[in-house]
Amino acid sequence: MAESPAFESPVVRSYEFSSGGPLMLADASGTTKWLVRGEVGGAAADRMDAPFGSSRAAGGGACVLGSRPGEWIVVGPADAVAEVVASLDGLDPSEFVTAIDWTHGRALFLVAGTDAPRMLEKVCSLDWSDAMTPDGAVASASVAKVICDVARCDSDGTPTYMIFCDRSFGQYLFDALIDAGEEFGLAVGLPNG
Amino acid sequence: MLLVPCPNCGPRNSEDLRYGGESHARPDPATATPQQWRGYLYLRDNPAGWLWETWYCRSGCRRWFTLERNTATNEFRNPPIPGDKRGGKA
Repeated sequence: MAESPAFESPVVRSYEFSSGGPLMLADASGTTKWLVRGEVGGAAADRMDAPFGSSRAAGGGACVLGSRPGEWIVVGPADAVAEVVASLDGLDPSEFVTAIDWTHGRALFLVAGTDAPRMLEKVCSLDWSDAMTPDGAVASASVAKVICDVARCDSDGTPTYMIFCDRSFGQYLFDALIDAGEEFGLAVGLPNG
Repeated sequence: MLLVPCPNCGPRNSEDLRYGGESHARPDPATATPQQWRGYLYLRDNPAGWLWETWYCRSGCRRWFTLERNTATNEFRNPPIPGDKRGGKA
């Protein structure tokens, strides 16, 4: 994934990186992230086309997440994200819509592995079973007591989660996730890996 | 654990929400008497039974909603209503 210029990750401790394992955690905070807000049921909602709790793949590897009613996170390569945000141009000016670059304000971690749901259930009160949160589901919840947006984006059938939190909580949450995943053999992958 | 039905997120652990207290009407500032303001600010019915109250889904959808809870049994009845039923918080 693309990294913004001069981005400094909130995860500053050094770890022993691994190239693979049954459960992987990676810091992807440098990935371009935009936050779009508009009216529920408005024209911006039509263009974002991802109702609350769901997500869709946009062109070029970008992903639109319906993170809250009238609120969307656009994440992915910078060019593709810019294209999605540009699709808001030309809206009726009577609808109040905002789009801000969130890249430097939010940490983003990826958790991947068959035991990822079980690991998340240790630190989050939501039901992460396939029936409740299938691939493409988006939810906001407390993860290790930090309010996060969590999106499921499976890769080749492997449960994979994107976890967004305020960057000031990034280091703490990264360490908390390592602790939670220890019993499942969690390994730390290369940043943005 | 108390499962609170959020109209947007579904049942959520009460720790994910903020309790907003009893839902009651805000008097018109232009016409309210000091006694009415005092009642609005400080007086609560506090029944041991059914009560309309407001909650804020702080970890989920970040929206206020109103629901009816039995304060004696923690049962809920009627679907939760987005916003404040009586026109206060939005």
